[in-house]
Amino acid sequence: MLSLFALVIPLVMGVIALVVPWRRWIGWGSAVSSAGVLGVGIALCVTTSSHGPVSSLHGALRADALSSFMVVVIGTVALLATLQTPRVMTQELEEGTTTRRHAGNYVVLMQAFITCMLTAVLAANLGVLWVAVEATTIATTFLVSHYRTKKAVEASWKYVILCSVGIALAFFGTVLVYYAALHSGVGKIGAASLNWTSLMAIAPHLNHGVMRLAVTLLVLGYGTKVGLAPTHSWLADAHSQAPAPVSALMSGVLLTVAFYALLRFKAIADAALGPAYPRALFIIVGLLSLLVAAVLLIAQRDYKRMLAYSSVEHMGLLALGAAAGSSLAIAAVLLHMLGHGLTKSTLFISSGEIAHAEGTTEIAKVKALLARRPVLGGIFGCALLALLGLPPFSLFISEFTMARAEVNVGLWWVVAISLVCLSVIFVSMTNHARHLLLGAGSAPAVSLRARSVAVPLVSALVASAFIGVSAWPLLSLLQAAAHVVAP
Amino acid sequence: MTPAGSPLGYAIIASLLQVVLVALGGPLLMGLMAKVRARAEGRVGAPIRQPLRDLRKLMGKEGLRAHHSSVVLAVAPLVVLGSTTLAVAISPLVTTHPLLSASADLFVIVYLLLTGSVAMALAGLDTGTAFGGMGSSRAITIGALAEPALLVAVIALSIQARTSNLPAIVADTITHPVWSSTPTRLLALVALVIVVIAETGRLPVDNPNTHLELTMIHEAMTLEYAGSDLGLVTLGAAMRLGLLFALLMNLFVPWGVATGHTMLALPAAVMFLTLKASLLAVVVSLIEVHSAKLRLFRIPELLAGGFVLAVLAVITQLVAR
Amino acid sequence: MSASFYVGALELTTGAVLVCAVMTLWRRQVRTIVTMLRLQGVSLALVAGVLAWHEHDLGLAITAALVLGVKGALVPWLLRRVIRLDPRSRETAPLINVPASLVSAAFLIVVSYVVCSKLTALAPSAASRLVPIGVATVLVGYFMLVTRRRSVSQIVGLLLVDNGIALVTFLLTAGVPLIVELGSTLDVLLVVVVLQVLVVNAGARHGSFDLDEMRELHD
Repeated sequence: MLSLFALVIPLVMGVIALVVPWRRWIGWGSAVSSAGVLGVGIALCVTTSSHGPVSSLHGALRADALSSFMVVVIGTVALLATLQTPRVMTQELEEGTTTRRHAGNYVVLMQAFITCMLTAVLAANLGVLWVAVEATTIATTFLVSHYRTKKAVEASWKYVILCSVGIALAFFGTVLVYYAALHSGVGKIGAASLNWTSLMAIAPHLNHGVMRLAVTLLVLGYGTKVGLAPTHSWLADAHSQAPAPVSALMSGVLLTVAFYALLRFKAIADAALGPAYPRALFIIVGLLSLLVAAVLLIAQRDYKRMLAYSSVEHMGLLALGAAAGSSLAIAAVLLHMLGHGLTKSTLFISSGEIAHAEGTTEIAKVKALLARRPVLGGIFGCALLALLGLPPFSLFISEFTMARAEVNVGLWWVVAISLVCLSVIFVSMTNHARHLLLGAGSAPAVSLRARSVAVPLVSALVASAFIGVSAWPLLSLLQAAAHVVAP
Repeated sequence: MTPAGSPLGYAIIASLLQVVLVALGGPLLMGLMAKVRARAEGRVGAPIRQPLRDLRKLMGKEGLRAHHSSVVLAVAPLVVLGSTTLAVAISPLVTTHPLLSASADLFVIVYLLLTGSVAMALAGLDTGTAFGGMGSSRAITIGALAEPALLVAVIALSIQARTSNLPAIVADTITHPVWSSTPTRLLALVALVIVVIAETGRLPVDNPNTHLELTMIHEAMTLEYAGSDLGLVTLGAAMRLGLLFALLMNLFVPWGVATGHTMLALPAAVMFLTLKASLLAVVVSLIEVHSAKLRLFRIPELLAGGFVLAVLAVITQLVAR
Repeated sequence: MSASFYVGALELTTGAVLVCAVMTLWRRQVRTIVTMLRLQGVSLALVAGVLAWHEHDLGLAITAALVLGVKGALVPWLLRRVIRLDPRSRETAPLINVPASLVSAAFLIVVSYVVCSKLTALAPSAASRLVPIGVATVLVGYFMLVTRRRSVSQIVGLLLVDNGIALVTFLLTAGVPLIVELGSTLDVLLVVVVLQVLVVNAGARHGSFDLDEMRELHD
């Protein structure tokens, strides 16, 4: 029942926004619905940790510890992003950059987007998971092109084409897994063969040749949506053109939802092929992503694109963590997903405010933010430090743990290469941040507006720091979730 | 399936019959196509036997050759006619047991025809005039592009019949009528139609009626010929058209081809072949009415398309086996 | 249905899917290309129909009807609207000329034949032997996406990829579970709708929708 609730809440909110023309309370309503999702997610975590996996809708939805954790991540970031809706939309309406119809559509699409992501993590059937991930592309297209500028249309066109084509490969991979399952020689399971539980049960009997091809296609296909190199190019365009809360939601959770799909399939592949082949694939795409991010961050001129490439970097780190594959590594991967979601969405939302206030997204044209806009600049700076993996924030502990897990399975050379990339990224991003934040300027009085932005963002940073230093309440949950996909 | 043990007398008579049939039928097919085209355009047009009359007139004239021409110019018409006649004699046109049928390999026929093309191209170059060289270069370009498509399409047919012997392929198709409608056959058919249109110099690749300097291909090579030499070259081209049309029809709709060794089957086979070839000629000329000549640089597109279809034919055959 | 008729019908309809894919590379007129896509959708539906008949599979029959409706009618109709609104996309603008594209397509077809040998070895049957044709359609679609720069060509490339994968699905596993099939077909339709709306809106707002001008976003 609970998992059904998680889907129904944003769905109902979306329908309301579809029927009722835009009012400010609809914006607040979407925030309430995200809070509801977060609440259901926490309840799911409690239920699954005490009673084990729960199913609903005749087994179509299935929540285990991993799914519940993902619902919590989605709920958290969605809450952060939708809390901005009333303010951003009112402001755009006042400035005339949007119409009431478009404001209403924005809420509808946001809710549809969140529903799709929740469907993806709660679906028992891996085919439905694919359908839901593809549907996120459709739901977000018009969010990316919300401002209807030429650049925004270009970005959304590239986004749809590249992601649909990439995700088509993932469908191919899913079909091949289904084919291998139908011909595994273990009983007749028929239409249920794409269900996660039945696939895991017969995984050791799946044909090797077919599974190898399937895993490769799945890594490439879902990898496109995750933003892993070599098919990462849509990410910077889409994230830089979309409205800030949309970028926050896309970068903060959409990528990790696609990565969740990869984690599920990797578990099947590990059981079918042994860990070596999937590990090699994940190491290749992970290192490639780190390399691409490092190279493109050095001379980056746009701070929103800088944040987008930093997402490529973090997805690369997740891939390397997943490559290690031990339950310690997977727990760190999951913690990293949550931490990255919190900090990246904080950064995107505050960068949206900066872009709105300064009228540009070019790094060279923005100076002395700390002096001129202490609240906004302070949040942006702190979140950037968190993103770079400095203690006490949670990304430090998750990156550290992933590296330790990689060394434990003998991947010390991977750690060495990624450390080189990470230090290049560290230097170039602090350099960009220095341009943006430091310098002399006069501070205007802190406006009320800035405060209403600041409260949720500061809370997010505090939460990130809290889970960085305290094992409670996440430790047992992370372990349980990691055990779902790791031995 | 090799029809080796066929009685020699029957084979000789059948082959002679084929040569005579194609020598008379080729020009008549050209006449028919001109007639259909004229009618479709609302003209009365010349009678169908006009090409035969032209040939007779040309044969009666003295062959004049250019001053500085070499022996190539003199020999080329004979090579064209000779190679085509040999190909006609050994191909399974009215019977699957013509003379030398064991060596009537697809590749042999293709390269006999190619010999004629090369001779023609050399003759076009021999007189050293601008048009001749231009025509030769264009003809060779088109030939080089058509060749791969032709070979691959032929390979597709050979895989299906498990032999590249032409009479055997035709005989196999008669015994397995389903074969003529498999995807392999249909794809190979389209590919071969494109190749045949290119090789016989019909629209939209070449316009046989034009003497416009920018567009002509085959006519440019024969420009320096006169009298009986021109007659031989024209007859060679007409026989080539007849042979290719007849072969195309027999490969895909082989009904009516005599498979036994009885003389009595031959007249019926001749009738069937005439009917089939005329039908194809009518269809091709109707296509010609509705198509303009392609610009020269678009021809590779057409032939590359034929090549892909031929590759498709091979792959579908390999896949479906 | 007799066995030989089943095999023959399956080969013929499957072959038609790939021939349509090659024709989209061959022809320059975008209207013709859309017609080819429509024919491909119909052939794809026929493949599903033949399989459904042979396997007595109701779910697959529903899928066949759905594919016929979506890929044989709705999607081509949407594409024609795009052509009307984007006059520049009436002729394709290949980055690689047509003969070279066609020769590459031939190469891709051979590659897919070689690659698929492992796949078909698991469960050889009349249907699964034809899988290379589906894979070749996918590869031709990718080739078109990479080498064609008009809006309609890109959508067509996307649809070729999708039709190819659908064909593989039918041939390998007689279709995925119905719910997934419904979802994926609906997704394809929605993607085309979304792209069409993008072209229409951009045309209304900026006068044209030209992928060649789309070079503002880069690093």
